[in-house]
Amino acid sequence: MGGILTLTVEHLVLSAAGVGLALLVGIPLAILITRYRAAAGFTMAVTDVLQTIPSMALLAALMIYLGLGNQTLVVTLMIYSLLPIVRNTYTGIISIDKGLIEAGKGMGMTRWQLLRMVQIPIALPVIMAGVRVAMVTAIGIATLGVLIGAGGLGAPIWRGMQIVDSSMILSGAIPAALIAIICNYGLAKLENAVVPRGMRVSSPAKS
Amino acid sequence: MLWLLQSGVMRVSEFISFIYSNLDTAAVATYQHLYLSFGSVLLGMLVAIPLGIWLTDKEKLAEKVLAVTGTIQTVPGLAFLGLFLPLLGLGVVPSMTVLFLYSLLPILTNTYTGIKGVSPALVEAGMGMGMSPRQLLFMVKLPLAFPVIIAGIRIASVYIVSWATLAAFVGGGGLGDPILTGIMTADINFILMGAIPAALLALTAGWILGIVERLAIPRGLRG
Amino acid sequence: MVKFKNVVKAYGNLVAVKNLDLEIPEGELVVLIGPSGCGKTTTLKMVNRLIEPTSGSIFIRDRNVMDLNPVALRREIGYVIQQIGLFPNMTIEQNIDVVPRLLGWPAEKRKRRVYELLEMVGMEPDIYAPRYPNELSGGQQQRIGVLRALAAEPPLILMDEPFGALDPIARESLQDELKSLHSRLNKTTIFVTHDMDEALKLADRVVVMNQGEVVQVATPETLLRKPANDFVASFIGKNRLNGESLQSVVEIMLPDPVTVYPQMGLAEGLALMKRKKVDTVLVVDGERKLVGSVAVETLDRERKRAKTIGEIMDQDPPLATIRSQASAKEAFDLIVGEKLKYLPVVDEKGVLVGLVTRNSMVDALASAVWGDEGE
Repeated sequence: MGGILTLTVEHLVLSAAGVGLALLVGIPLAILITRYRAAAGFTMAVTDVLQTIPSMALLAALMIYLGLGNQTLVVTLMIYSLLPIVRNTYTGIISIDKGLIEAGKGMGMTRWQLLRMVQIPIALPVIMAGVRVAMVTAIGIATLGVLIGAGGLGAPIWRGMQIVDSSMILSGAIPAALIAIICNYGLAKLENAVVPRGMRVSSPAKS
Repeated sequence: MLWLLQSGVMRVSEFISFIYSNLDTAAVATYQHLYLSFGSVLLGMLVAIPLGIWLTDKEKLAEKVLAVTGTIQTVPGLAFLGLFLPLLGLGVVPSMTVLFLYSLLPILTNTYTGIKGVSPALVEAGMGMGMSPRQLLFMVKLPLAFPVIIAGIRIASVYIVSWATLAAFVGGGGLGDPILTGIMTADINFILMGAIPAALLALTAGWILGIVERLAIPRGLRG
Repeated sequence: MVKFKNVVKAYGNLVAVKNLDLEIPEGELVVLIGPSGCGKTTTLKMVNRLIEPTSGSIFIRDRNVMDLNPVALRREIGYVIQQIGLFPNMTIEQNIDVVPRLLGWPAEKRKRRVYELLEMVGMEPDIYAPRYPNELSGGQQQRIGVLRALAAEPPLILMDEPFGALDPIARESLQDELKSLHSRLNKTTIFVTHDMDEALKLADRVVVMNQGEVVQVATPETLLRKPANDFVASFIGKNRLNGESLQSVVEIMLPDPVTVYPQMGLAEGLALMKRKKVDTVLVVDGERKLVGSVAVETLDRERKRAKTIGEIMDQDPPLATIRSQASAKEAFDLIVGEKLKYLPVVDEKGVLVGLVTRNSMVDALASAVWGDEGE
């Protein structure tokens, strides 16, 4: 039992690491392409293609070049998390009413202040949605990590399949499914929580 | 620089001769992969589209059903396969079952929102002139919702083609087989034999369905 | 033809229509008018059962609507809505023949009907039938909306603020069209609007509603002369003064304007104008249809170059005219708005019936304001 718990934590950490790296790379990248729109189409196309590559394939290909182990898994996870994060950050920022941007500039905000005080707060829920999708996908792909010698809940599932031991399979599959569902739910709540207070749709008054 | 180019060319020619000598394996794997993907998406359409249509006037129920399919979507592929193993065993059946379940959400959501999104003025006009609900559906709502539904099928297809590689884990065949072999033997050629066709298939499916989506827009709505 | 007996519609505690007793005679264009929330649209929608009454009965030609199959009922009633609602995925032809299609008319009959209807409103069938709604302007679309309602030759037509979403010019044009169609076809029509001008212009009979009840039922003229209470009077508002003795443009026009034929020579034309002491004449053809106008200065200027009036007459941009069914107020608005010196009055075939000049208008207004005080 303790083993499963360790694996679960490991699984979560690996997934979070991948998503975290994608955030570090993806958000600045997305902000960059909101400035240089010409690059936007190209960037989106590239990340789109990367996403279509079956995860197992990319994982395997990277294994050849980067070796076995957790680091390869995390790199793969990062690559797959890029699209949702970059796409959502980009769309979230450019869909903001142009009038707000103009007002901010008119008041004398620098680009950086505009970003920090207006654009990111308003785009945050959309960005969170991207993080949520990325995290859930990452948890899914991380189950394949066992193939390339990484940790996580893939191990009991895989081993269980090989020796056809149902309880071993389930000891991996159920926690994996559960953490995916819980993360999805939790991050969705977070998504709602980061909506700026003034932009909340008020619930109808109870009579 | 030159060295990179040289090794690149070597790699490619190595790969090509590899494929050439293992053409039958590649072909079989590709065929199985198409079969798995096509089959699951088709099944998904058969279930999700009528379900989506049926749910359009039952909002509360629709919310719940969409929540359930949404949750299904989040379950990791391998875990799903693992969960079904005791029930469905190995082979094509569990593979297609899981893929089918994965195709439900995009198709269901798009069918539902596509039909619900038809302008209420049109619904009123249609009802007011004496269209029965069935006639309204077939003459007005479905033609207008068609592009959105196709978009859902497109999203599901690209997703399924990618994830069909997992079928290899339960002996369902498909392009996951060579990839798995490649991982076990640390042979990049096998990996590529599975990865490249799979990626190409996914991209092609997305491209073709994208065209279908555009063609599905009723003529009166273009331009 | 349509009878409301004690009809009530309530939504929980909110009563939208209270104890409605109303009779709509066959062949009349009846307008339901009132402020927002007065129940006029609810009343209309109960006729084709898009809304069902809480209590009371509605009869169409003595058949209770609740006894009939709603879908079949609606196919026998034309329905035009404010948002137009043409199906964007269908061509104009397909839009118009929806109900005939639902009723199973043979293809040949349907096509004939569509062509007939398009010609009736002056839209060239070969051009318009294959087009799509998004290629047409708002006014044209709603015209099609009306034709769509007429396609299956229903005995009753319901119209819910059909021209509300159109620009003023299109609105006016469609109102004229409707009035003309109605006088030709005599279909029982129930028309909902909140625009008093529209009501007075179109209605054979006006039903004023407020807060779910009928306040007054009267012909436009009676309504203007004898409003039932203060509410109705204030609703009529500024129309009251104009309406009293100046109804139709016919009352303020000169019935016998000076006219010439295109073949007439320039010298003769000049002489005629001098004799009649006018500075502009209207040019008509053999059927007395208006084809152009010509001013004295033009005649003078072109005397050396041209021989007949037809060569030099003014036909541009199309000559501003007004229909004989129009109201005096419309003529007034047009003349003032477009800064016209005169406005020929024609009937639906384009035959000249009279001329409104600034003078004739001033004369008529003066007599209305200071003239006959007696009623």
